[in-house]
Amino acid sequence: MDGRVLAVMEPYFSNYFYNPSSPYAPAVTVRRRYEEAKHSLAKNIGSKPDEIVITAGATESINLAFGAVSGHVVTANIEHHAVLSAANSHDNTIVSADLHGLIAVELIKAAIRPDTQLVSIALANNELGTIQPIREIAHLIKQERQTRLLAGNQTPIYLHTDASQGVGQIDCNVARLGVDMMTLNAGKIYGPKQVGLLWAASHVKLVPQIVGGGQERGLRSGTENVAGTIGFAKALDLASEHRKYESDRLQKLRDDLQTKLTDTFPEAVVSGHPKHRLAGHLHISFPNIDAERMVFVLEARGVLVATGSACAANKGTRSHVLTAIGLSDEVADGSLRLTLGHLSDEENINQASQIIIEEVKREYARTNR
Amino acid sequence: MTKVYVGMSGGVDSSLTAALLVERGYDVTGVYMKNWTQDMPGMRCPWADDLADAKRVAVQLGIDFKVFDFENDYKQKVVDYMIDEYRNGRTPNPDIMCNQEVKFKLFLDTALEDGADMIATGHYAKVKDGVLLQAADTNKDQTYFLYRVTGEALTKTLFPLGDFTKPEVREMAMQRGLYTAAKKDSQGICFVGKIGIREFLSQYVDQKPGSVIDKNTGKVLGQHDGAIFYTLGQRHGLDVGGGLPYYVVGKDMDKNEVYVTTDLNDGALWKTDIKLSNVHWINNTPAAGNYQIRVRHRAKLVQADLSYEADGVRLKLANTERAVTPGQSVVIYDDAVCLGGGIVI
Repeated sequence: MDGRVLAVMEPYFSNYFYNPSSPYAPAVTVRRRYEEAKHSLAKNIGSKPDEIVITAGATESINLAFGAVSGHVVTANIEHHAVLSAANSHDNTIVSADLHGLIAVELIKAAIRPDTQLVSIALANNELGTIQPIREIAHLIKQERQTRLLAGNQTPIYLHTDASQGVGQIDCNVARLGVDMMTLNAGKIYGPKQVGLLWAASHVKLVPQIVGGGQERGLRSGTENVAGTIGFAKALDLASEHRKYESDRLQKLRDDLQTKLTDTFPEAVVSGHPKHRLAGHLHISFPNIDAERMVFVLEARGVLVATGSACAANKGTRSHVLTAIGLSDEVADGSLRLTLGHLSDEENINQASQIIIEEVKREYARTNR
Repeated sequence: MTKVYVGMSGGVDSSLTAALLVERGYDVTGVYMKNWTQDMPGMRCPWADDLADAKRVAVQLGIDFKVFDFENDYKQKVVDYMIDEYRNGRTPNPDIMCNQEVKFKLFLDTALEDGADMIATGHYAKVKDGVLLQAADTNKDQTYFLYRVTGEALTKTLFPLGDFTKPEVREMAMQRGLYTAAKKDSQGICFVGKIGIREFLSQYVDQKPGSVIDKNTGKVLGQHDGAIFYTLGQRHGLDVGGGLPYYVVGKDMDKNEVYVTTDLNDGALWKTDIKLSNVHWINNTPAAGNYQIRVRHRAKLVQADLSYEADGVRLKLANTERAVTPGQSVVIYDDAVCLGGGIVI
């Protein structure tokens, strides 16, 4: 977590621990700070504060978004488990991404039926970093709405995007993206875990998934996560402020790293879209290398990397995303996800690339002995 | 170079086992045996962390690492056996069955087939020329769980921890900086996990109310939810409340009745004469005579006179032993040598 984020949160764990719903003055101050944080969040995504529901993270936001509809939904085979699981409780069509993890607008168009109520596509894929053509999809949804209007079909259709993965590096202004709902997560931008938001345009009728005291306009009951929301607001502020600079900086570092690794290991496979890809993201596979072994070897030398997908790795199964884009088993199992961020600089990325090169060479030597 | 496959569970014992073998110059491969676990839909697999720990240590040691999937065999030979035994009113010991059927049969065979010359595990026991000996750490000695292994399997087995005490093992793991050096020991039956045997069993057998009966008076004291859940000598969990504590002294599975007493000296609780069936000897069948026996893991060794009967073995004890429970194993020793044993009728 960013130290500046932690600093703004601290008072709300100590002197300002009051429940924002309490009537006395210090609690009213807490309420005001909470509302200010929501204003700040709203400003950074170009929305109104009362279109935002604070949740306990992206998974909850996604559940809330899917809970808004009962009919047919469309999503893609490389989406996060949270989306795929939520889609599973609806009549659904799952479109296939291409080998770069890109979701073609035409496929979505073909999947939309007269009774489709929700299309949900992440702004950027969490494993591959591929950035999806959300604006084009939004345009498609607008056309579909027109068509329905003319045909007298009153079924609403929404576009939801989980922008958690992209918000540090991509403009997430809801009007410019053209979406109807957007999920964000504080943890992905150096904010606290268990805090997220769902933005929903005023024409979307959300259905509360957690009922109780009626907080968040009745859409998400439970005492407000004051410190978390204030931290989230600060984190999003910082992310928005440094977005352009940070994105350019990371892209250069990432490209350097990628070149070094692929020059040394011509057999390495880089996945994700060559152009439309998150700046700080490198998904690279070393065929026939056991990626999990590499995680353990590298962590011992201070280089922390993920395999294909952290969640999938925990289940001891192959990532559904890598299978979806058609990676063979021996390539998928050798996949490392290298992510760069605030702490990355030329020096430590150079070091990291040296260590990765040494260890991958050593592992190839060990297995070919 | 002798090629050894080490069963690595992700605990400190098997981690050090692998480390010691590497140091002693063996060509070592770590193997995680994937045994049966109950899948809770949508939940994180409980074994994933153990597998990752085992693999981490293998990586630390620079050795090969494999996963052997024994789920189906384990379910049939250990889990189903255990449930059946409970159904028949006995109290089985699945760890003994796991060693007999999985670790020292299936694992051994699979490893040999895969190119290994020997296997090794982190058991606290010693082996010499196919003879099973008690571990140096008498408090930790695990020969009780190993008495159904064959002598032939033991000729292909290494137990590097047999010479050390548990504190020494931790210390040596620390010195070597093994990732699992400070990891807590696992407790209980692995596949039952945290839920406990009662809850585990109730998923496989119907709960069926029956009477809790005072053995001496014949009086019905209360109700239970299935005789299967009760075991000899058990005190807690009897819903008969008030007065002196009651102990289970018997049960009738057909009638679904549990018999209890407040008499701590009840004959059913104390035995000097034990009959064993399904007797297994690791090597040769020993002559009748005086030996030492152990009625449960870590129990003190006691003197017994062994004689053979048509359907098994009879043990006459010098002193009484408490709660010698049908289905449990009694293991027989000749000083340091674990000869074998059998299952209490």
